[in-house]
Order: sequence, then structure tokens, then C-alpha cells
Amino acid sequence: MLLAGLAIGIGVPWTVWLDIQVRDEFEGRIWDVPSRVYARPLSLYSGKPVSKRSLLLELKASGYREVTNASVPGSYSVNGNQFDINRRAFIFEDGSKPATRFRLQLRSGAIGNLVGVSGSEDPGLVRLDPAEIASIYPLHDEDRTLVALKDVPELLITGLQAVEDRQFKHHHGVAFRSIARAFVANIKAGKAVQGGSTLTQQLVKNYFLNSERTFVRKANEAIMAVLLEWHYDKAQILEAYVNEVYLGQQGKHAIHGFGRASEFYFDRSLQNLEPQQIALLVGLVRGASLYNPRRNPQRALQRRDQVLEIFETTGLLTENEVKTAKSRPLGVTSQPRSGGSRYPAFVDLVRRQLKRDYQASDLSSEGLKIFTTLAPSEQEYAQQAVSKGLDDLKQRGLPADLQAAMVLADVASGEVRALVGDRVAGRNGFNRALDARRQIGSVIKPLVYLLALEHVDDYNLITRVNDEPVSLRQPDGKLWSPENYDHKSHGELPLMDALVHSYNQATVQVGLNVGVANLIRKIKQLGIVAEVPAVPSTLLGAVELTPVEVAQMFQSLAAGGYSVPLRSVTAVLTPQGDLLSRYPLRFMPLENREAIALLNFALTRVVEEGTAKTLHGLLGSNTVIAGKTGTTNEKRDSWFVGYTRDRVAVSWVGLDDNRPAGVTGSNAAMRVWAGLFRSLPIEGLDLRMPDGANFVWVDKQQQALTDPSCPGAEQIPFIEGSEPQRSTKCLQKQDRKNKESLWRKWFGRKD
Amino acid sequence: MDVKTRLLGGLIALLLAACAGPPPVKVDDDEVDSRVRAPASEDSAGVQVYSLQNPAVKELTAQAVVAERAGELDKASGYLERALRIEPRDPQLLQHMAEIKLQKADYQQALSFAERSYDIGPRVGEICSRNWRTISVAREHLDDASGANDAEARATRCMNTRPKRY
Repeated sequence: MLLAGLAIGIGVPWTVWLDIQVRDEFEGRIWDVPSRVYARPLSLYSGKPVSKRSLLLELKASGYREVTNASVPGSYSVNGNQFDINRRAFIFEDGSKPATRFRLQLRSGAIGNLVGVSGSEDPGLVRLDPAEIASIYPLHDEDRTLVALKDVPELLITGLQAVEDRQFKHHHGVAFRSIARAFVANIKAGKAVQGGSTLTQQLVKNYFLNSERTFVRKANEAIMAVLLEWHYDKAQILEAYVNEVYLGQQGKHAIHGFGRASEFYFDRSLQNLEPQQIALLVGLVRGASLYNPRRNPQRALQRRDQVLEIFETTGLLTENEVKTAKSRPLGVTSQPRSGGSRYPAFVDLVRRQLKRDYQASDLSSEGLKIFTTLAPSEQEYAQQAVSKGLDDLKQRGLPADLQAAMVLADVASGEVRALVGDRVAGRNGFNRALDARRQIGSVIKPLVYLLALEHVDDYNLITRVNDEPVSLRQPDGKLWSPENYDHKSHGELPLMDALVHSYNQATVQVGLNVGVANLIRKIKQLGIVAEVPAVPSTLLGAVELTPVEVAQMFQSLAAGGYSVPLRSVTAVLTPQGDLLSRYPLRFMPLENREAIALLNFALTRVVEEGTAKTLHGLLGSNTVIAGKTGTTNEKRDSWFVGYTRDRVAVSWVGLDDNRPAGVTGSNAAMRVWAGLFRSLPIEGLDLRMPDGANFVWVDKQQQALTDPSCPGAEQIPFIEGSEPQRSTKCLQKQDRKNKESLWRKWFGRKD
Repeated sequence: MDVKTRLLGGLIALLLAACAGPPPVKVDDDEVDSRVRAPASEDSAGVQVYSLQNPAVKELTAQAVVAERAGELDKASGYLERALRIEPRDPQLLQHMAEIKLQKADYQQALSFAERSYDIGPRVGEICSRNWRTISVAREHLDDASGANDAEARATRCMNTRPKRY
């Protein structure tokens, strides 16, 4: 009686206390279904420029498997330049599309033809289902790769139960039969060889992360497991387990859940795992450290094969399937992928733009599908350009701890295709592309010259300007006497040449004429909200901007004066596939587009003959590109901004602590930029002038109209009315000759 | 090649191109139809300058036309946006988008798209006329009467301006 009373008196409150504990833990860890973030879907059509390497990268990013016969969706086969692709069914932002199989042939860097397979109609245009680049909670900064039960592969769910808890469906948290079996086995072996814990007990154990094997702890675990089963259904418990179980360690960070483990070991999403990979993960449940496939590959292989055998004996896989699976290597990547997205810098931009442009109430919905503008192959190239580029700069004697950032966007739409915020791929830390606020140096000069060219009465591209020593008093009373990079003054020269060679003194003279206040206004007009100091040194780029802000300014110029805000999100869909919101394409035409066209022409000369003249050599191509280098005081920052017809990119290189780094625009950032563009299809810039501006044959030095056949003749664009009024003597002579020959023609006189 | 041969060649090319272009869209009681497309087509006497479109753009344009006819303007602009991702500098796509924006009463954007189409496009012929007529209608809605008149006058000059050679 006394014992019973004691049992009730202590046992009941104890159980209630355990109940509170375990429910708190469980409820606190039920996550909403995360939102999925997708890259842009790759459009395929005949004529599309794409290299084999890029297509393979895109297929890999979208989780396609290479096979010999692409009979199932999500697989492809490749034979030389011929691809056979079985596209998965997918809900795109404009509706759902069924699976479809097609073949394409690559010919000289483009898709030659695209045909449907097995009698289906030839598709004019097919979109590959986009790569899933992250799972996020738009309102929280939490990076876990959680999976909903319905997205977990069947083999993992059934296999897990086959290996760890065959009674899962039937028990109430504790399986006494299993405990008895384990007890007997352990007695026989003389040590603990088998565990009798159910999945529910294991879940509880994971919650309290205590491996101490005492009777009280075991008893508590068992009571809590029963309580969990009392409150929640099997599916909820299994889902929690799948996302909670401990499967490895990365430094200080524990790897929890199969979704994250799948990325950590295989660099793949859980849905794309092969049977032997699933078996490896299931095997890790028993001992993530013991069977660590990177540290103990042999032991891991044995454990994996043991699990595969269980899959076979329980009928989950056939004998043949197991044979094939066993013949495969472990398939673990050599470097573990760090947490969260493979593209943390880009996903960071997505988060910020979502918060800026969407209502918090919309973003709190569960399981949104977020469509973005990222091009996985271009992102890969950009990251490689940065990582390898900086390694290369180290070889050239520059500091080993240089950092870099890069932004690549589509000129016309402002869609961000790639964003790199760190030299190490996938490192989730300081995002330099968005947060490194650094002086931009000479990268500001094009804006000074743009302002000048807008003053049609005062300036054209060949107006003589003075590159002479200049001294100005700054607002703090100090005297400011900027020098040129080569410490020389170059005297009077055409405006265009001052920009092409990036002369500081000439730029200050021009800048003072057009006004610092106007320059600041121009910067704002080009989409920059950051504060810009109204001091003369701003004329030479003593302004701190981030790489993404610089990219924003130059997008407007690259697009010929049609400004669009840089964007990373195109649409957000509810889990039901309804459009929550779209970001439609919107242009903002700027005034004075003729002046922008003139400036773009001058910037192509920077690449032809100015500070960026080694670019063509680095690229191995002579395509027309506009560009501008930037270097700051004591070589702390290196910038390069460049654009082709369709792409605009900014690269920055420097040291995080702003020490002098020995970098200049052309020795560092331009090399990194070239590293990216070597891998992209490049279309030359279109230099056709808008209405109101025309190319004219002139002699730049004489500031006079001339004839194409005259020495020193160049075709340079002018805004109508700003052309030189004078003619060269050579042109006058030519004109006389022409008149005479016309006279002869009309009157039939022979020479 | 003499001037006559060159002119004849050009005319034949224009006529052939006219056959290849998408059919004009018919939207009843629509400002776009009555004030932009119909007069532009009349001005050009059926001669249209169309660049060769790739099959993907063609398919998307056709889908945009179907959506537009059904009055689903958001859908239509979605298709055109996709097409613009493929050919961001196609003047017809930009002009088509301008006309959709006009129908959505988004006059500022109608102006922007039409202007860009003109800048990038042939600046002559039917598309030029549609560019300026769209600009005219949009300006009118934005209470810029004199600007609207200028644009209207500019549209009529699309047919007699010889394209510049570069």
C-alpha cells in the first residue's frame, strides 16, 4: 500500500513533469514547412547558345542523373554532343507542366536542334525544371535543410524502419519484444551489441542528447516515448525524427536530419539520392562517428552493404538492385558542403529582397515556392573566377588573404545571374557583394564624363580638357592636390582620352565644371540610396559603395539608359501553385540617352587602348566590351566594371581590414572579371546611336571634321549640333577634288 | 548592284517578311487596336519589317496573343517577359509589351517599352509607327497633350524616313 502510494505520489508528478518536458521539446522543434528557393529555369530551344560544360552543370544543379537510357524523369544520357533528357513534371511560375522527353544536339556552342522523343510533338521551347538552391524561412535567419515527410524518398522511410524499428507502425513508443531480443543478444555477446530502442525513443534521446546509459535515463526515455506517441501521430513523429536524428559532425556544428546530411555527404538534395546512398545514411543512424564515410570509408562501406542486405531481405530492393547498389562506390564528396544553400551570397540577396518587397504576412505562409534569377552554371563560373583568380593573384605576389566579390546581371532585365561574396565557395559569412562598402575610385569617372557630355554646348568627346596640377581646399580645411597614377600631368587632350587613360587631374577639372552636387544627383538617379559626401574628392571616387550598388549604377548605362532595379526574385507561389506575387519587368528610361551612348562608346575605348587594354588578351577575344578600372589610394581596392551587349558584371578585390593590398583595377579585379567572361557566351556591345546622335569622321587632335581617307581620321559619335564646325585641310582638299570630279562627270570632260 | 535593283530587292524582302510575321491581334473596342495597330498597319500599306524570330520566341509570342485575346493581360505579359529573357532586344516583343501595358492602363511603362523598342528597332515602317502611336496614346493619358501630338506626327514620318546606314 505504502509502495503503491509512493509510486503514485512520485510517479504521477514525475510523469507530468516528463510530459511537459518532452512536449515542449517536440512542439518547439516542429518547424513550419520551409519555403523552397529555385534558380531560374533554363530555357532550351534551337539556336540557344550553350556550351556542353554549361549544360552539364545546369543538369547537375537541377539534380539530373546521368544514365545510359533516360527512361525516367530526372535523368539524361549524353553521347558526344547529343543529349537525351527526360524532364520532370514541375509547377513553374506560370503553371504546371508534365514530364517530357526530348533530344538535343549541340553544334558550335549552341543547340542545333531540339526534337521530341517517342512520337511526342517537337517542342519549340522546353524549360528544365529549376535547381532547388535553398530551403529557407523567409522571416527567420535559420539555415536548416528540413524536409516534409511527403518529400522523403520511400526507400528511406521504409528502410529506416526495416533497419531500426520494424514494429514502428504498431508499438506505442516502446517495443518490449525488441528490448527482449536485444537483451538476449547482448547477454549472449557479453556486451551491448544491439539496441532495442524504437524510433520514438531514439528521437527522445536526440532531443536531450545524453548518451549516458543509466537505468533512470532509459526509463525516462521510455516514458517520454510513450507520452509522445500518446500526443502525436506516427507521421508527425517520423517527420520529426527524419529532421532531428544526428548524422555527423562538421567542426562545432552537428549535422542533424537526413536533408542536411544528404547535402553534407553527397552535395545533393535528399530527393535525388540513389539506393546505396540512402543505405549509407540509414547506416549512419547506428553511429555517425563510427561509420563516418570520410574518416572510416572501409567501415562505412561494410555498414552500407549490411544495410543494403537488410533492404533485400525485407523485400525493399530486389537481389539485382542490391547487387548494382553494392557495386557502386560510397560516392561521398571529398569536401563537405557547408550548411544552408550552396549559394549563400545569392540566397542572402533573395532574403533581403523578399523582406523589402513582400508583406510579412505573405511570407509567413508555409511552404512557398520562390522563383529566382540565379543561373547555376554562371554562378559556378563566377565563383571559380573568384576562387581561382585569387589563387592566381597569390602566385603573382599579391597577399594570400585577398578577398573578392562579384555581381553578374542581365543588362536588359536587371536579373542577377550570379553573386559571389567570398573567395571560398559556399562559405556563409560576410557577404562582400552586398555589404563590403568600399571606395570606388576611378569607377566613378564615367559619371563625371556623362555629366559633361550632357552639356552639349560645352562638351563633346573630343573637347580639349586640361590635365594639369590642381589644388583644392576640402571642407575640413586641408589642401587636396590629386596626382595622376603615373605622377605626371598630360596637358591639354581630348575629353575622351582623359577618360580612356583615367587621368585624375583632367577629371577633377571637368568635374568642377559640371559640379559635385550634380554628380551626387546623377548617382542617386542611377539608383543609389547610400549617402555620398559633397566634397571634391568624390569626383575621384572617394565614395564608399558596395559591389551590388556599383552594378546597379552601370546596369542603367549598359542598357543604354533604361534603368531597372537589380532583382533576384521573379515570383512567389503558394504551395497550391497560386501566384502570390510577381515582380514584373519595369524600365525607367533616363534622360539624355544620347550622352549615355557617347559614354558607352568611350568606355569601349578604355578596353581598346586605355587602362583595360590587356582585357582582350585575357579573354582571348576581340569582342566590343565597355569597361572601367578602379584603384583606390595606396592600392587598397581593385575594381572592374565591364559590360557586353547582354551582361554587366562588377568585380572587387581587396583586403577585409582595408590595408594596402598592392591591387590595381587591371592587375586584380579585371583578371577576375575576365576569368568569368571567358566561360560565358559574349555578344559585343551594340554601338548604334539613338536618334539625336551620329557617328562622324573627325580628326580628334585638330577637333575638326575630316574625310575617312585623311590621316588621323576616326569615327566618333556626336550629339546632333555638337559636331565640330571646322574642317581639316585634308577634308577641304578632298571636297574641292570631289567638286571638280562632279563637274567633269556632268559635263563629260575627260581628265 | 544599281539603285533600282537594290530597291526592288529590299521591297521583295519586306514583302516576304510581311508573310512571316504574326497575325495582327484583334481586340474589339480597344484603344490599342483602333489607335495603334490599325493605323500603323494602314500607314505601312501591309508592309511590315519583322526580324526573324527564333522558334521559342515565336511560340511564346503566339501564347501571349492567345492570352491577350482572352483578356488575360497578366498572363500575356508573363509570356512576353519570358520571350524577352530569350531575346531581350527584340523590338517587336518590346512593342507588344508596350501595347499590353497600354491596355493595363500602365501608361508610364507603356511609354518606356515603346521608347526602348524604337531605340533598338528599325526606326522605320510599321513597328516605328506603332512605337510612336503608343507613345502618343500614353502621353495623352498622362496629360501631356503637346507631347502626344508630337508623337502622333512622328508616327506618320515612320513611312517616309529612310533608315540611316551605319
